[in-house]
Amino acid sequence: MGRDQWRAALRNPVGAAAAGLLVLLAVLAVVAPILWGDAAEETDPAALSQGSTSEHPLGTDALGRDIMLRVLVATRYSLGLALLATAICVVAGVLLGVLPAVLGRRAGRLVTGTVNLAVAFPGLLLALFFAVIFGVGARGAVLAIGLAGAPSFARLVQTNVAAVSGRDFVAAARLAGVGRFRLVARHLLPNIGEPLVVNATVMAGSALLAFAGLSFLGLGVQPPAYDWGRLLGEGLDRIYINPAAALAPGVAVVVAGLAFTLLGESIAQVVGVRAVRRRRPPVGDQAAAAAAAGSAPETPGDTVLVADDLRVGFPAPRGGWTYPVDGVGLTVRPGETVGIVGESGSGKSLTALAVAQLAPDTADVTAARLEVAGVEPRGRPESEVRELLGTKVAMVFQDPMTSFNPSMRVGTQLAEVTRVHEGQGRRAALARAVDRLRTVRVPAPERRAHQYPHEFSGGMRQRAMVAMGLMSTPELIIADEPTTALDVTVQRQVLRLLKDVQAETGAAVVLISHDIAVVAQLCERVVVMYAGRVVEELPVGQLGAAAHPYTRALLASVPDLATDRERPLATIPGRPPDPADRPEGCAFAPRCAFADDACRVRPGLAAVAPEQRAACWHPRSQPLDLVLDVLSGGRS
Amino acid sequence: MRELSFEGTTVRFGSGRSALTAVDGVDLTVPAGSVVGLVGESGSGKSTLAKAAVGLVPTTSGEIRLDGAPLRTRRDRRRLQLVFQDPHASLDPRMTVGESIAEALRGRRRSARAAEVARLLELVDLDPARARSLPSGLSGGQRQRVALARALAAEPEVVLADEITSALDVSVQGSVLNLVRDLQRRLGLTILFISHNLSVVRYVSDVIAVMYLGRIVEAGPADAVLSSPRHPYTRTLLDAAPAFGVALDDPVPADDPRLDTEAPSPHDPPTGCRFHRRCPIGPLTRPERTICAETDPQPGAPDRPHRSACHFASETLTLEVPAR
Ligand SMILES: Nc1ncnc2c1ncn2[C@@H]1O[C@H](COP(=O)(O)OP(=O)(O)OP(=O)(O)O)[C@@H](O)[C@H]1O
Ligand code: SF4
Ligand code: SF4
Ligand SMILES: [Mg+2]
Repeated sequence: MGRDQWRAALRNPVGAAAAGLLVLLAVLAVVAPILWGDAAEETDPAALSQGSTSEHPLGTDALGRDIMLRVLVATRYSLGLALLATAICVVAGVLLGVLPAVLGRRAGRLVTGTVNLAVAFPGLLLALFFAVIFGVGARGAVLAIGLAGAPSFARLVQTNVAAVSGRDFVAAARLAGVGRFRLVARHLLPNIGEPLVVNATVMAGSALLAFAGLSFLGLGVQPPAYDWGRLLGEGLDRIYINPAAALAPGVAVVVAGLAFTLLGESIAQVVGVRAVRRRRPPVGDQAAAAAAAGSAPETPGDTVLVADDLRVGFPAPRGGWTYPVDGVGLTVRPGETVGIVGESGSGKSLTALAVAQLAPDTADVTAARLEVAGVEPRGRPESEVRELLGTKVAMVFQDPMTSFNPSMRVGTQLAEVTRVHEGQGRRAALARAVDRLRTVRVPAPERRAHQYPHEFSGGMRQRAMVAMGLMSTPELIIADEPTTALDVTVQRQVLRLLKDVQAETGAAVVLISHDIAVVAQLCERVVVMYAGRVVEELPVGQLGAAAHPYTRALLASVPDLATDRERPLATIPGRPPDPADRPEGCAFAPRCAFADDACRVRPGLAAVAPEQRAACWHPRSQPLDLVLDVLSGGRS
Repeated sequence: MRELSFEGTTVRFGSGRSALTAVDGVDLTVPAGSVVGLVGESGSGKSTLAKAAVGLVPTTSGEIRLDGAPLRTRRDRRRLQLVFQDPHASLDPRMTVGESIAEALRGRRRSARAAEVARLLELVDLDPARARSLPSGLSGGQRQRVALARALAAEPEVVLADEITSALDVSVQGSVLNLVRDLQRRLGLTILFISHNLSVVRYVSDVIAVMYLGRIVEAGPADAVLSSPRHPYTRTLLDAAPAFGVALDDPVPADDPRLDTEAPSPHDPPTGCRFHRRCPIGPLTRPERTICAETDPQPGAPDRPHRSACHFASETLTLEVPAR
């Protein structure tokens, strides 16, 4: 847990209140016994068992001692004992929890089994049991409460350790010869610290309550020592005479217990899912950057997609906004296949999502012009846009497992699309689903339609995803890395399927991929993205004459089956810029061999050849020999 | 550097109906000072084979040897080092780069350690000052270099690299491949290089072994395997590899509609030749080849060219392209 997260936990109002209370309690614990320790012991024979008076606001006990002072002074003992018990619980729990990781397989299983058994016992029962074993008194109670909490803490540690143990870096450390104990101390415990801290905090709260309970029952702190629990017990005897005597220690226990629990909860919240609030950037922010943006080319005739100066922004963690998509212009004609290539983080997927109106809620999407399948989504209510685009735009994602509902049969999910959008009957929709599964060559479609997504192989799921897109007649199919998780043989089938579908339905296809060879196989036109912008667009046949240094470097750096093995591969030095601090001017400049002063101004897309545009001040004109060889030579 | 050899290595997971043989009697030798590339589709058992070698999964039977001596103890296994696919997962996020590397160094003094860490970082083309960075501050390519440096720190006899470039961006992949090739030449490393990408494997390997459903179906010198493959599965892989100037429309033999489109379940591998339901020259296209569905071609493999697990390996592979 980083310092920022701790701070965030405190910024949360509940967390701040809880932390404030705990600080107050800590101060009390330190100073109260020093200031009032003696006064709280002072017996006053003249004021035995009094109610509230001006001298003793909460009254006095049977020996005439001031109850308010006693409650304040008891803070130290109560908190101290609770923390001690928590410490015992945490130490015992961690030891038991990591033991299976240190011991061999068999002994480890024994420990796990024992812990599971102990967890099954109610905690209070366990505490009472231990209290009897260790004997009545503060020491016994601390041990009892600490040990009673240990099994559940141990289990928490065990599950967390097991999760971290499965990660590659632990395996790597093992292979490097790191011993078991060091493995636990350096790799396992530090990486499970967060849930442990949260739980220990919550645990302290319940230890406090449990302790009060034991003392109240007379099993805990023994006279003349006293804690809140004992004060509560004494007060309760006279609750009808002086209710404050019982209420005050009771309130103290509850407040302190709550403070621990709430602090734990608010830390947990910060560590876990961070709440996102929908925000919008100031308008001036958008206008300023729109200046040098890439615009869609002149658009003769009709289009299925026009995006002009498309920008997608997110609130930056340190304030302000970042724009992973920063002025993209994109035009797709009906029936065209366009490939978008770029490295991870270049904004390819976000562009696609924004076009399909599927950008995340926190994103801010703006465009000078945006038209998808004849629909202008801007200025319309979201539900209406979804409705309009639902049948006209189909999306195919990289991981179809996450895009299917795992608990619904594939056929039903496909059928749902038409039922929702076209109000078809159940039977007709299912028949169409089977038909579409057959179209995408899923074998035995009737049987497959009744299966669940996890019963499909990766390639088959991807085909089912395409089938889902075909349930209506889309004008535009956007496929985002549809074959990245697949084997080459299956990849080829899925790409061919997309091509067939496109030929049959006349839909336009936008294929997003990091693999330029894949794009070159399927598409007619390639759009190259870098750092949130389009840097070049050109017909596939012209790839050998790519003009932008980035496109050329990308082509040269990927080995294929004809690459000279004796020559090092071309590389691109450095790494793509973070969207938060992109260089001014050409974003590729820090990695570009041809960069000069001119490149400090952002280049716009400009024609360099027929149908080819590049955003570069110094476009290259000589053909790329490497690519040309391959392009003309074909497969050996 | 020494020779790593697998002899009849078998790894079985689970039991009963969920049992599956992920690696099935693999014989494979990685000669000292050379790079053997292992290709195959996902689930074919490549990673499991590498994990078995370093002892991350137990072998069911067979022997794994270094220069003829069986690997038995943890100490033996430390002479092999595995580099993982995902550099974001294989480095402890809480430890600096230097600490991660130093952990793999043995019995050196503190000052000697720091010097060694710096040397290793330089070896993988990283600034030694990076020793103080946390992995979160590094790019994928840089992290993969650190992972390589950590593997080298243990002074391994053999390095096993499992898909080390597949999680990287294409623009960084090249530099990591250059580094692997360069390190191998400079230090004479023995490497088992695993990848599903034939072009990548071809670029770094001297020998290529092709794995299908837990078995090596073809192995031989890289050029020979790629230019005249002896197993129809290798041919299928070559045909499917995306390449410039090859249109999707050009049908390849594996596009024959009579064939299964995907690998069979490893829980229930086909009888006889495991590839027979996808084989373009097998029984589904040539009904007279009943032997393929009945007799396992694996046992005769050592006598065939490229140790091919195909009854018809000696035939020149003439494949008919199906009409579309
Ligand atoms: N711990 C395990 N328990 C059960 N089955 C496993 C286990 N590990 C792997 N398998 C199975 O073993 C087979 C081989 O898997 P392996 O990871 O070796 O494949 P791979 O060739 O490396 O694939 P990829 O290219 O996807 O990395 C697969 O069917 C996989 O599901
Ligand atoms: S504009 Fe300048 S820095 Fe950018 S790609 Fe062109 S030459 Fe390189
Ligand atoms: S044995 Fe038969 S089915 Fe198997 S690869 Fe050879 S020809 Fe094909
Ligand atoms: Mg693998």
